[in-house]
Amino acid sequence: MKVFDQGGEAVAAPALLEEVPPEHRVPVAGVREAIARHRARRGGGTYTALRWLGASVFVAVLLALVVTLVSGSSEAFRHSGLSFLWSGTWDDNRKVYGAGIFVVGTLVTTFVALLLAVPIGVGSAAYLSEMAPCRLAQPLSVLIDLIAAVPSIVVGLWGLLVLVPLFEHHVEPWLSRLPLLGHLVFAGAPLGSSLLLASVVLAVMILPTVVALSRTALSGVPVADREAARALGATRWQVTSRAVVPSARSGIEAAVTLAMGRALGETIAVAMVVGNRVAMPHGLSTTLLAPGATLGSAIITTFGEATPGLQRSAVIAVVVYLLAISVAVNAAGQILLRRRQRQRSARVAA
Amino acid sequence: MTQDTVTSETQTEQPDMPTAVPTPDGAALDGATGSSPARPPRLSDPLPDTGNAVTLQGVGVSFGDHQVVRDVSFNLARNRVTALVGPSGCGKTTLLRAINRLHDDAGGTVSGSIRIGDLDVYAKDTQPELVRSRVGMVFQRPNPFPNMSIFENVVSGLRFNGVRSKTILREAAESALHHAALWELVKDRLHSPAGVLSGGQQQRLCIARALAVEPEVLLMDEPCSALDPIATAKIEELIARLAADVTVCLVTHNMFQARRVSHYTAVFLLGDDRRTGQLIEYGQTDHVFEVPMDLRTKAYVTGQMG
Amino acid sequence: MTTLRTTDTGDVVVEELLPAEVLPEHLASGAAARRAAIRQAAGRTLGRRRTATRASHVLCALSVGICLVPLVALLAYTTARGIHAINLGFFVHDPTPPGIPGGGIRNAIAGSVLIVGLGALMAIPIGIVAALFLLERRGRVATIVRFGADVLTGVPSIAMGIFAYALLVEPLGHFSALAGCFALAVLMLPIVIRASESAMASVPVDLREAALALGARRSRVARSVVLRGAMAGLVTGSLLAIARAVGETAPLLFTTSSDLFNLSPLQPTGSLPLTIYANGTQAFPEAQQIAWGTAFTLLVLVLLLSIAARIVAGRLARGSRWANSRSKR
Repeated sequence: MKVFDQGGEAVAAPALLEEVPPEHRVPVAGVREAIARHRARRGGGTYTALRWLGASVFVAVLLALVVTLVSGSSEAFRHSGLSFLWSGTWDDNRKVYGAGIFVVGTLVTTFVALLLAVPIGVGSAAYLSEMAPCRLAQPLSVLIDLIAAVPSIVVGLWGLLVLVPLFEHHVEPWLSRLPLLGHLVFAGAPLGSSLLLASVVLAVMILPTVVALSRTALSGVPVADREAARALGATRWQVTSRAVVPSARSGIEAAVTLAMGRALGETIAVAMVVGNRVAMPHGLSTTLLAPGATLGSAIITTFGEATPGLQRSAVIAVVVYLLAISVAVNAAGQILLRRRQRQRSARVAA
Repeated sequence: MTQDTVTSETQTEQPDMPTAVPTPDGAALDGATGSSPARPPRLSDPLPDTGNAVTLQGVGVSFGDHQVVRDVSFNLARNRVTALVGPSGCGKTTLLRAINRLHDDAGGTVSGSIRIGDLDVYAKDTQPELVRSRVGMVFQRPNPFPNMSIFENVVSGLRFNGVRSKTILREAAESALHHAALWELVKDRLHSPAGVLSGGQQQRLCIARALAVEPEVLLMDEPCSALDPIATAKIEELIARLAADVTVCLVTHNMFQARRVSHYTAVFLLGDDRRTGQLIEYGQTDHVFEVPMDLRTKAYVTGQMG
Repeated sequence: MTTLRTTDTGDVVVEELLPAEVLPEHLASGAAARRAAIRQAAGRTLGRRRTATRASHVLCALSVGICLVPLVALLAYTTARGIHAINLGFFVHDPTPPGIPGGGIRNAIAGSVLIVGLGALMAIPIGIVAALFLLERRGRVATIVRFGADVLTGVPSIAMGIFAYALLVEPLGHFSALAGCFALAVLMLPIVIRASESAMASVPVDLREAALALGARRSRVARSVVLRGAMAGLVTGSLLAIARAVGETAPLLFTTSSDLFNLSPLQPTGSLPLTIYANGTQAFPEAQQIAWGTAFTLLVLVLLLSIAARIVAGRLARGSRWANSRSKR
C-alpha cells in the first residue's frame, strides 16, 4: 500500500496482510490438468434428458387420465346427450341415465356444509387471529388442523357407527319438531343416514381448511390498519369488524372456495352416511332428513355392479362430471388466492 | 383561520397579507385569542400562558422487565406545539403512545400520572376508547383504511364513536378536510378510494380523519418521516396552523423540524444505564436550542452526539 | 412558506406552498354544537360497543369449541373402541370368514405396506425430477406441469381409482396390487411435485449461482447444492404424501381388494382402509369391532408419519438454517 508524506513523496508503509510464502507462489501442479480432464468428459446431457423425462411422464399421466375418462364416458354421453347433466332418472332397466339427483345431492350437501362450516370457521379464525391470548392461539390452531390429518375413511366409520344412530334417535326427531323449519326442511321420518348427516360430516371435514386459510387472511392485515382504528376510539370488536375483516375479505373468499373444492372431492365419508337413494322420489322433496346421493357416492355405489358397456360408461360419465366441477372450483380458488397475494405485495410496495 | 405570517420565520419580512378568513369561534379555544399562536415566538417574546391541556407526572413505560422510559414529567401547553426530540430508541414514541393508552393492547405497563384537563387517563374507571376520542393520533406512515373512500376514511372515527347523523358526518368531514388543507383537492371525488392520493396527501387525509372527531389533543409520531421534502414542508405548515385549534404533541428525530415548528421542546436521551430513556430538558423551544440548561442537551442540539 | 411557480404566460409568481383554505361560515359557527354532539354520542354508545366486544369474544371462543368437539369425539371413540379390539392376534392373523371370531389384519398391514411402498417408489423419484425440471425452466411445458400439479391435487381420488381400473384392471382381467399402487402413485405425484418445488425454491439462488460460477455443471449443482439444501423439504413432502396415501380408500375400491395375505404385485392385496370399509359396513358386531381396531391402527400410523415428518423437517432445517437465513432480503 502506498503512503505519501508531507512533501508528496511516496513512502513505504507496513503491509496490512501477511505475505504469501515462497513455496506457494507457483501454481499447484496438476490442478489445471485435472480440471481439463474433467471438462473433457462427456455428460450433462443425461441430466437434461432425465428432467425432461420426469416432466413428460407427469404430463403423460395427466393426459392419459383425461383421455381414459373421457373416452370411457363417451358412450354414455352419446346415448343421453346433454340431458345427462340434469335429467333426474337413473334407470338401468330402461337404460335411461341422468345425473340430476346426484347433482342436486352434491349441491345440497355442499351448500349446507358451507352454511355450517363458514360461520363457525371464520369465527374461529377471528378468535385465533384477533382475540385469543398469544400462548393459546398456536396450540388451538394445531388441534384444529389435526382434523384434516384424520383419514376420511376413519371419519366415515365414525359417522356411520356413531353419528347415524345419534341422528336417528336424537338429533333428527328434535329437528323435525322445530316450529317452522320442522315442516319445511326437516320433514319426514328420521332415518339417520341422510343428506343432513352427510352435510354435517362434510362440514367437519372442511372446517380446518376454512379456519387455516381465513386465519392467514386475517393475520395478514397490517398492524397499521388496526392501530389507526384503535387510535380513533374504536372498541376491539369494531377494529375486527370494520378494519380487519373488510381487508381480509378476498382471502376469506379464497378460503371458502377452496373449502368448497375440498367438499366436492370427499367421496368415501359421504358415501357411508348419505343413504344412497338412487331413485328420485316423485317431485323434488325439500327435506334434508331424506336419504340422497351425491356424485361421489353414486360412483362408489354403482361402479362395482355396473355391467361393462353403457352402464359402466354412465358411471364414468359421472366421474367426468364430478371432475369437471371440482377442477373448476379449485382453479377458481387458486386464482382468488394468487390475486390476493398480488394485492398484498402491491400494497406493501406502495 | 390562519395568519400568513408563518412565513416570516424563514424569510425576510413580507408585507402582511390581509387575513382572508374569519377567525374561528373563539369560545372553543378557552380564551387564547390574543397573540397569533401560529408563529413560533422569538427569544424575546414571552409566551402567554394558555394553561396546560395535558400534564404528565413521573410517567414510565415498561414491557415486562424492560423499562423503556422512566420518570417523565412535562406538560403539553394548550394550543401550542410541543416537540419531543432525541435520538432513536429513547422512548419518545413509547411515551407518546402512553398518552392515548395504545399500550393497553400491547402489554405495556404505564406508571405515573397522565391527566387531560381533569381526566386521569389511567384511572381504573376511565374507558380507553373515550380517552382516544379526545386525543387523536397521526402515525409515521400514512395509513388510510384501504377499503374505504376518502369520505368514509374521514368519518370513520365518528362512526366508531357512534355518531350516526348524516348532517354531522358531512359537516365534520368538510370541516376536517378544510383544516387539513385538502378540501379543494378532494371535494369532487369524496367517494374515490383513498389510494388515489399521493403519500403526502394521504398523510393529510389521516390528519383530517383524526381531526374529524374534534379531539383536544393531536399526537403526531414522526408524521413526515415517510414523505418527500415538499410534502414535509406542507405538513409542517399545517401543524403550525393546527395549533390554533388543537394542542399538538409532535415526536420528531429532526431537530430542525422541531425548531421550525414547535413552541415547546422536550429533549429525551438514553439514561446512564444506556437502556432506559429519560427526559433531560423541557422548555420553550428557543431556550432549549440556544441556551439549554443541561450539558447533554447542548451536546445533542449542536450535533456532537445523537 | 412560499414557492415560485411559472404560469402559462411565462410569468413567475410567488404562491403559498399550502394555500389557505377558507372555512365556510356555516361550518365555523356550528363547530361547538358539533363537538358537543360528538362527545355525547361517544359516551352514550360506549356501553353498547363494549358489550358487543364481549359478546363477540364469547361467540368466537364458542366457535373454536364447536370446532374441537368433533375432533375430540372422533379421537375418543376411535381410541376407546379400537383398543378393545386390539390384541397381539390382531396383527398376526389374517381375516376369518364373517361371523367367526379370531380374525386379524395381517394381510391388510402387509398389503398397505406393499401398495403404498411401491406407489411411493414410483411417485417420489418422478416427482422430484419433475420439480427439478420446474426449477430452471420457464416455458410452456413448465407452466403446464405446474398448473397440472395444482389441478391434480384437487381431483377427487375416486377418479384415480377409475383411471387405474381402466388402465390396469380391465386389460389384466382382475384386481392387482399394481393397479392400486398406480392409483396411489398418481395421487401422490402432485403432492410430491409441489412440496419439492417449494423446498427447492427456498434454497437461495446465489448458492446455485456460486456453484455455476465455479464451473460446475447443472447436474452437479442440482446434486450438491439444490438437493442437499432442499433435503428437509423433500423428506417432509414425501412423508406427508405417504401419510395421505395410506389413508385413501377410493383409489383402492376398484383396483385391489382381498382377504388373503399376498405380497405379489400382480395379485390383489388387502389394505387397511378397505378393511375398515368392508368391515364397518357390515352388520356383525365382530366385523365392526375389527373395523374400529383397524381404524385405530390407521390413525396411529398416520399420526406417527406426520410427527416423523415434523421431526425430520426440524432436525434438517436446523442444519441448513444458516443457509436459509441468508436468503432473507
